[in-house]
Amino acid sequence: MSLLTAETIGKKFGGVTALKDVSLFVETGEIVGMIGPNGSGKTTFINNLSGLYAPTTGRFMFNGEDITGLPAHVITGKGISRTFQNLRVFPNISVLENILIGLHCKIDTSLWDVYARVLKTRKVEKQAREKAMAVLELADLSGRHDTLAKNLPYGKQRLLEICRAIVSDPYLLLLDEPCAGMNPVEMDDLAGFIRILQKKGITVFVIEHNMRFIMSVAERIIVLANGAKFQEGTPVEIQKDKKVQAIYLGEEGDL
Amino acid sequence: MFFDVLLIGIMVGAIYTLVTIGYSMVYSILKLMNFAHGDVYIFGTFICYTLLEKYQLNPVLAILVSAVLGGILASFVEIVAYRRLRAGQHRMISMITALGAAYVIQNSNELKWGNQVMAFPSILSAKTFQVFGLTIPMTQIIILAIAVGLIILFTLFLKYHPYGKAILCVSEDIPTASLMGIPINKTITMVYFIGGMLGVAGGILYSTSYNAVSLAMGFRGTIIAFTAAVIGGIGSLGGALVGGMLLGICENFIGVYVSSSYRDPITFLLLIVILLVKPTGIMGAAEQTKV
Amino acid sequence: MKPGTQKHGKQQTGTIIPMTFKTLAKNPVFKTAAFLLPALGCVLLPHVMTDTYYLGIINYMILYAILCMGLNLILGYAGLLSLGHAAFYGLGGYTTAILITRCGFGFLSCLILSGIIALLFGILLGLPTRKVRGDYFCLLTIAFGEIFRLVAQAWIGFTNGAMGIVGIPIPAILGWSIRTEADFYYLGLILLAFTSITLSLLVNSKFGRAFIAIREDELAASVMGINTAVYKIIVFGIGCFYAGLAGSYLAVYQTTVTPSNFRLEESCLMIIMVIVGGMGSLFAPIAGVIIMTLATEYFRGISEYRMLIIGVIMVAVLLFRPQGIFGTSAFKG
Repeated sequence: MSLLTAETIGKKFGGVTALKDVSLFVETGEIVGMIGPNGSGKTTFINNLSGLYAPTTGRFMFNGEDITGLPAHVITGKGISRTFQNLRVFPNISVLENILIGLHCKIDTSLWDVYARVLKTRKVEKQAREKAMAVLELADLSGRHDTLAKNLPYGKQRLLEICRAIVSDPYLLLLDEPCAGMNPVEMDDLAGFIRILQKKGITVFVIEHNMRFIMSVAERIIVLANGAKFQEGTPVEIQKDKKVQAIYLGEEGDL
Repeated sequence: MFFDVLLIGIMVGAIYTLVTIGYSMVYSILKLMNFAHGDVYIFGTFICYTLLEKYQLNPVLAILVSAVLGGILASFVEIVAYRRLRAGQHRMISMITALGAAYVIQNSNELKWGNQVMAFPSILSAKTFQVFGLTIPMTQIIILAIAVGLIILFTLFLKYHPYGKAILCVSEDIPTASLMGIPINKTITMVYFIGGMLGVAGGILYSTSYNAVSLAMGFRGTIIAFTAAVIGGIGSLGGALVGGMLLGICENFIGVYVSSSYRDPITFLLLIVILLVKPTGIMGAAEQTKV
Repeated sequence: MKPGTQKHGKQQTGTIIPMTFKTLAKNPVFKTAAFLLPALGCVLLPHVMTDTYYLGIINYMILYAILCMGLNLILGYAGLLSLGHAAFYGLGGYTTAILITRCGFGFLSCLILSGIIALLFGILLGLPTRKVRGDYFCLLTIAFGEIFRLVAQAWIGFTNGAMGIVGIPIPAILGWSIRTEADFYYLGLILLAFTSITLSLLVNSKFGRAFIAIREDELAASVMGINTAVYKIIVFGIGCFYAGLAGSYLAVYQTTVTPSNFRLEESCLMIIMVIVGGMGSLFAPIAGVIIMTLATEYFRGISEYRMLIIGVIMVAVLLFRPQGIFGTSAFKG
C-alpha cells in the first residue's frame, strides 16, 4: 500500500479550474518531485493535500485513511508537514521557539496539566526542548537557537522552516519550492539535507521550479501542466521527454 | 403612520449612506478601521452650527466651508497618525492609533462645544405637502434629495473623473497602482478628504432633520458607519447604500414600535447577527486567502 | 540552556571575568534575592506607606494590573484586538454586586463566580472568531461592550439602571473581614499574585506558544497542528476570566458599580496601559499601568483634557515606539 494516494483530485475556484483529475501515489521512503510551469497548479495541489483548501472532486488516502477536506491542523496531526513557497517562519520569536511550535501536536499537555500538574508539564517541556535542539543540531542551527527568526539569513530561514516541519516526525514532508531565492551553494546544502531526512525515514514530496535541483534530488518526477498530470517518470526519462521540453521551452528553457 | 416611519427611515438611511461611504472607502483601500471618522463629521457639523448661529452665514456657504474643514481635518489625521504606520506594522497598531486620534478630536470638540445637546438651526423650510393623503414635510424631501444627489455625484466622480479612477485603482492593489504611476499618498489623502466631506454633509443633514447636534453623535456616527458598512459589505458603494438604508429604516421602526432605549442595543445585535451569519455583508463577496 | 549556565558559572569562579548582568541573572542566589526582596517590599508596603490616599492609588494600580495582564494575553500574545474588555470587567462587577446584595453570597464564592461568568461570556464571544476575520472581531467586541453597557443602563429591574448598585457590604474571606485600604491592598496583592502565577504557567506552556504562533501567522500556525479556532476561544475566555476577577474586586472596593464604570473609554484606557508597558511580554503592562495611573493622578487638575492627553499618548507611543517600554519586537514593524 502506498503512503499517499491522490485519486482524481480536482479544484475549481469560482469558474476557474485549477486542478483537473490529478491522480498520483507516493511510496514510503521516496523522494518525489513535482514540476510544472507557473500556474500549472502545483501549489494548489499541496494546499489541497495539507488541508488549506478542500478539493472539489477526488480524494486523498493517507496511510489507508481518507483525509480529504480535513482541516489543516488535523492533517498535520496525522503526520503530513509542509513548508511554504513564500517562507512563513514566525519572524518575531526565537529559532528555538519556532521549532517548539512545530512540535505542538506532539506535546501532550492539557490545560489541566498546565495549572494542576506543573512538574509533569515542566518535564514535558524540557524533553521538547531537547528534541528541538537535536533537530537544530541536524541543520547546524543549534548555535543560533536564541536568535530571532527574522534575523537569520534567508537561506537559514528556509532551513529553519524545514526543521520546524520535521520536528514532529511526520511521515510525509511537503516542500513548496524550497530553493526559491537560494544561491547554488545553499541549494546543494539543501539537497544534502533532504537526503539526510530520507535516511531518517521521512518521505519527501517536493515542488520545485529549479530543474537542476529537482533532477539531483528526486527519484521520481511528476509533471503538471494546466492543472492536469502531464507526464511521470525518473529524472532521466523526464529530461529526455520531448513533450516536457516543449512545455518548458516557452517558459524558461533551462532544462 | 407606517409610511411616515418608512419615509423618515429612508431619509435617515440616505444620510447614513453618506456617512458610511467615506469610512467604507478608507477600509477598502487601507484595511484600516478609521475610528476618527465620526468625530471628524461631528467636528464639521459643529463648525456649521457655529457659522450659522454665531456668524449668521448663508447656509449654503456655511455647509461648504464646514465640509471642506472636515475634509482637511480628516486628511490631517491621515497624514499625522496613519501614514507612518502603513507599511510593515502589525495591523492592530494602526487601528489603535485611529482610536487615539478619535479621542483627541473628540476631547477637542468637547472643550470647544461641550457635551450638551444643542438646537441646530433649521435651514430648510418647514412647509408640508400632501401626496395620496399623506402629509410629507418638505424638509425630509429636500434632505433626501441632497443626500441622493451627493451619492450619485460621488459615484459619477469615481467612474469618470481621472482622480476617481485613481482611487478605484489604489483600492484594488496599492503596489500595482504605484507602478502605474498613481501617486499613492496623494490619492489616499484625497480619499480621506472626500470621505470627511461626505461625512460632514451627512452630519449636517442629520442635525438639520432632528434639529439637534451633540458630541455623542460623533461616536455614534462611527459605530453607524461601521455597522452599515459591514451589513452591506465593506468597501463597495452599493454595500454602503444597502447597509445605510437598511440600518436607517430598521432603526426607525425599532424606535417607534419597540422602544427608543433599546434602539442602539438592537442595532448592535443586528451587527453581531450579520457578522455571524454572513461576515462578508449582504453585497460582499467571499475572499479566498492566498497561500 | 544547561551547558550555557555551567560555562558562565565556571567563568565566574575564574575571577577576572567581570560580572555582567546576564551572568548575574543566572546566579541562583541573585535569582532568589531578586524575587524575595520585592515580594517582601510588597508585603511590608502598607506599614511604610500609611497614607491612605497613596495606598488607594496603589490599589487601583493593582486592579488595572490584573485587568491589563489579562488583556495582554489577548492583545499581545494572540494578537486579537478586543475593545470590549470593560464589559467583562463589568460582568464580574455586576455578578458580585448582585449576588452579594440580593442573594447574600459570601465574597469568595462571588469572586470565583464573577471570574467564571466572565470566562463563559468570553468563550461565547470568542466562538465567532472561527468565522469572523480579525477586524470584524474587533467590531464584535465593541458591539458586545456597548450592548452590555446599554443593557445595564436600560434593565432597571435587574441592574438598577444608570444609578448602579450601591451599598455593597464589606467582604470577608474565611473570617478575614476586609475594611481598610491596607486590607484591600493585601486582597489585591493576592489576586495579582494569582494572576501572575497562573498566566506565567500558561504562557510558558505549549498554549502560550500557540497563541504567539496565531499572532505571528495564523495560517502557518494551523499547519503546525494548532487548532487556531479553539485556541482563540481559549485565549479570549482566559483573558476575560481575569477581567471578571478584577470586576469583583472593584465592586467590593468602591462598594458601588454603575454602567459608567465600564464604558468603551475604560477598555481603551486598558489598551493604552498595555501598549505603553509593552504588548506580548507578561509583566510589561504593569509598567504601563503605573505610568498611566500616575499620569492620570498628576493631570487630575485638568481632567477635562484627560481624553486629549490619553489620545496623544496613544498615537505618539505607537508612532515612535510601538513595542512599548518592555514589549516584544512583534509590534515594532
